[in-house]
Amino acid sequence: MAAVFAFSLIQGWKITDKYNISFSSNEAGGIFKTFKGNIVFDEQNLATSNFDVTIDVASINTGNGLQNKHAKSDEWFDAVKYPVIRYTSKKIEKAGNAYQVTGDLEIRGIKKAFTIPFTFQHNGNGATFNGTFNVNRNDFHIGKPGGDVSDMIKVTVAVPVVKQ
Amino acid sequence: MLKKLLLLGVISGALAGIASLIYQKVYASSLGAGFTNIAKPVGIMLSSVIGCLIAALGYWLLSKVLKGKTEIVFNLLFAILSFVSILGPFAAKLPLDIETPELFPGLTIPMHFFPALAWFTLRPLFITVNAENK
Repeated sequence: MAAVFAFSLIQGWKITDKYNISFSSNEAGGIFKTFKGNIVFDEQNLATSNFDVTIDVASINTGNGLQNKHAKSDEWFDAVKYPVIRYTSKKIEKAGNAYQVTGDLEIRGIKKAFTIPFTFQHNGNGATFNGTFNVNRNDFHIGKPGGDVSDMIKVTVAVPVVKQ
Repeated sequence: MLKKLLLLGVISGALAGIASLIYQKVYASSLGAGFTNIAKPVGIMLSSVIGCLIAALGYWLLSKVLKGKTEIVFNLLFAILSFVSILGPFAAKLPLDIETPELFPGLTIPMHFFPALAWFTLRPLFITVNAENK
């Protein structure tokens, strides 16, 4: 009974359209325009909190038409064969004043365990998740190793949410 | 001859600018992307006029050196430089809130040829082949 009661208190959050999913490296940078998913997060109950979010690969925008086409091609993200990037959490824990989530990151059909540090800030009826982390593109066979674009891609995530 | 060339530069630049603005309107109405925040009308007019004024100065300088062969060399250079300049729109990195950067080259590349086109069209009205030798 207590477990059922605790579960009912877990806060679900709806992603607003003001989110920003951006990436940058020495040569390339841009955003993903389409991001969606389910976020259940309660600072007091991390054990039952979870994220299941996806990014639409075809929504990539580098600001340059040729680069966009290149990024969606089979050499890079292969948007036709692998239309989404998915992150599914397995464990969320406190890390100092912030949090970190460990889960499966799936890009180009390759699923790897991945930990993302993030902060959670309340703002009235809503809140914002912020995180910055690096992804080694070679782990997911994105592009060829080496070359002009550095292997490590910095990803910045800012996701405003409102209570469901 | 320099005065005539500068006048040709200003008028052909203005004509190229007007042609570009008309093209931008047509492009925006047919494809829904005019990029008016990036390719602003004032910028289009100014760059067209400045481009043709530089061409006028170039023509004048070439005429001092090449005499009778100015026309051939200048036309060739103007065409080549116009062609090379299309690398700019292909390489341009637009603000990330622009939804369809793929359509940007289609808008701006033709504009890069309008100054040369306007110059070649109006040049016979301003400069005769005999005049450049004077």
